[in-house]
Amino acid sequence: MKSRHLVHPRLAEKVAFGGLWTAAVVVIAPVFGIIAYMLYRGIGALNPEMFQVGTKGLVPAIVGTTALVLLTALIAAPLGVAAAIYLSEYAGRGPLVRAIRLALVNLAGVPSVVYGLFGLALFVMLFQLGRCLLAGACTLALLVLPLVISASEEALRQVPHSLRQASWGIGATRWQTIRRIVLPNAMPGIITALILSIGRAAGETAPILFTAAFYSLSKPFPTSLKDPILVLPYQLYVMATEDPHATEEQKWATAFILVVLVVALNLAAIAIRARLRRKQRW
Amino acid sequence: MRDSLPIFTKYPLGELLSGTRWAPTSDPERFGMLPLMLGSLYVTLGAMVIAVPLGLATAVFIAEVAPKPVQEFLKPTVEMLAAVPSVVYGFLGLLLVGPWLADAMDLPVGRFAGVGALILAFMAMPTIVSVSEDAIRAVPVALRENSLALGATRWQTIVRVVLPAGRSGIIASIMLGLGRAIGETMTVLMVTGNAAVIPQGLAGMLKPVRTMTATIAAEMGETAYRTEHYYALFAVGLLLFIITFITNSIADWAVRSAGGMRE
Amino acid sequence: MVRQMIEVAMQEDVIIRPDTDIKMEAAGVDMWYGSFQALTGVCIAVPARQITALIGPSGCGKSSFLRCLNRMNDTIDGARVEGSITLDGCDIYSRETDVVELRKTVGMVFQQPNPFPMSIWDNVAYGPRLHGVRSRSELNEIVERSLTRAALWDEVKDKLHQNARGISGGQQQRLCIARTLAVEPEVILMDEPCSALDPAATFRIEELMLELMETYTIIIVTHNMYQASRVSQFTGFFLLGELIEFGPTARIFENPLDSRTDDYVRGRFG
Repeated sequence: MKSRHLVHPRLAEKVAFGGLWTAAVVVIAPVFGIIAYMLYRGIGALNPEMFQVGTKGLVPAIVGTTALVLLTALIAAPLGVAAAIYLSEYAGRGPLVRAIRLALVNLAGVPSVVYGLFGLALFVMLFQLGRCLLAGACTLALLVLPLVISASEEALRQVPHSLRQASWGIGATRWQTIRRIVLPNAMPGIITALILSIGRAAGETAPILFTAAFYSLSKPFPTSLKDPILVLPYQLYVMATEDPHATEEQKWATAFILVVLVVALNLAAIAIRARLRRKQRW
Repeated sequence: MRDSLPIFTKYPLGELLSGTRWAPTSDPERFGMLPLMLGSLYVTLGAMVIAVPLGLATAVFIAEVAPKPVQEFLKPTVEMLAAVPSVVYGFLGLLLVGPWLADAMDLPVGRFAGVGALILAFMAMPTIVSVSEDAIRAVPVALRENSLALGATRWQTIVRVVLPAGRSGIIASIMLGLGRAIGETMTVLMVTGNAAVIPQGLAGMLKPVRTMTATIAAEMGETAYRTEHYYALFAVGLLLFIITFITNSIADWAVRSAGGMRE
Repeated sequence: MVRQMIEVAMQEDVIIRPDTDIKMEAAGVDMWYGSFQALTGVCIAVPARQITALIGPSGCGKSSFLRCLNRMNDTIDGARVEGSITLDGCDIYSRETDVVELRKTVGMVFQQPNPFPMSIWDNVAYGPRLHGVRSRSELNEIVERSLTRAALWDEVKDKLHQNARGISGGQQQRLCIARTLAVEPEVILMDEPCSALDPAATFRIEELMLELMETYTIIIVTHNMYQASRVSQFTGFFLLGELIEFGPTARIFENPLDSRTDDYVRGRFG
């Protein structure tokens, strides 16, 4: 068949692919420019003075962030993994399970500020916890639960059915099989999910805005679950918008440490996942 | 969400949704959500106008065109972009992007709707890129081969076979990106200027706006428990929840119908 | 050497028409997937307007070779072809060759019937549209002609605008053949076109191939020896990436020169 074109398809393809290259560069280049600039400003701003312990500043914010995300993981992990085990190992295909799944998909997309409202109404007000570490961690745990559950369920499903059957075949109960065969094999995937959730929780601001965070604390470190805390994202927000005394250096240093922390957590998760893919072959 | 109910008993629903003034501290108080809804819609649509074409082009590029090493570099990079906390995006918008744009366009301040839209676009992009890239990759190789074997160029194959076949996943990616942009709080709070006025026309892009999310974040901290204002903010939260529920359901439905088609 | 092979074949056999010339010719074709060598020194001459069958056990390289003939292997990362393959005497791997033009001339039908997820009409019109045919009436004409040639018109003429995935597997495969015919190729490559079909549908396709032979050069890969002996005039036997023997089908099956061919066609392995 003879071609009849106004524009030859080869030429059209060249132009189109050129456009795609341009689009990719437009998407990636400014981000790299800005990140490079941020690293440059951030590293320049880091000096020993930044790390002096006070009632505000980097040290309490780092400690506060660490405490908050660890507590969040401590709450979310058992709940999330238990729910995932139920969904993947026990639940059938009834309407209830379908409703749970639909809820999970949708909860994952609910804006974080709505979680903040929910945490305020439930933990801070109704349970009378006040603005504190525990209320913030509970709120964040709710926020990351959908992520933990769906990623853990995925990890459990990756364990081949033949392994389960082999275990049942030698007389193991359902629960013994889960504990000794399924969970250990799914563990790297579950840990990846947890690290990703911690990374997400560490960067969130809106949910803790009215549930946990204070800018100027009465003491540098929290000593009980009912203490308010200072966390990196919140500190960055206040410094950038409300605190006229905050110096440029302080702002950039805070942003830098926050980004490094979150990116490091994500890189760790990616690395674990990549190793996992190489190791597991079934 | 139970806390949002009292406001509905005091003010009729129609008035809340269509009221054009949001003035919680004036006397008498006004809780018209229309400016907030339109503010959210305006900034979000602005973001999507930038994010959808660029995001789809990048997804096609990564999945179909980019040489292997470029592909392997771009994929994790895009994942990383999704991981950067929104407060950092807000911070960068406030300190760098806003002032630059204000300089370039000769505006007095660097906080206006356009900055928010631009930054939200970059925040929604990772979602659009990675979900639609997965959708494109899920199109069976056999379809591509059949098209190439008929003498199609790769570009013709992409436009006429791959994209239509991956349509559902691409719609899902756009809805998810949209949901992310509507729900985004810290960035818009920091860079859009927060004036509760109804945006008008394209010129509105250069003026401040206020979104639903930013309103909650900005005002809830200073609101007394169980006042009308408190309930009104919960009502805004409920509205936000419903909107994102709808966008997510559409995305979920699109993904499911894609799964059904591929059998 | 290739020449000799075909001359020997012509002397041996009466079914060769006097006007038979060589449509495609491969000489010393080596092919690799990364470091794995899939083909070694393949030489073959494919006569025009005949059906040539390529047989051999799974993994012998027959499909890989078929995919060299319209450069489908270009789309696979790490695939590399050396040696020469010509179409009407022109090297298809030379720098000047336009792959798109090549694939228009050398069409391909795959193992799994794979209609695009669109209507039957759109499937057949897909190729002509790619190549710039816009007029609706002309497209209608091409669709009807192609479907008729593929012996499918009567079965689908009332549902041209229904989704092509809704018809039976055998009909889908004939649709794929119609889609290939619509771009007016000269050579049609068929990669086990019947292996996903039931015997009745297979029979229809074989009948169709014998009709199409009048106009087109057909090369078919099949693991079904009976199919090769039923439809083809020439047969090549592949084993472990080499073309062991090539000649008129009757001779390959009744009186093979190589003992390995003999073992295979008698069903001793494979």
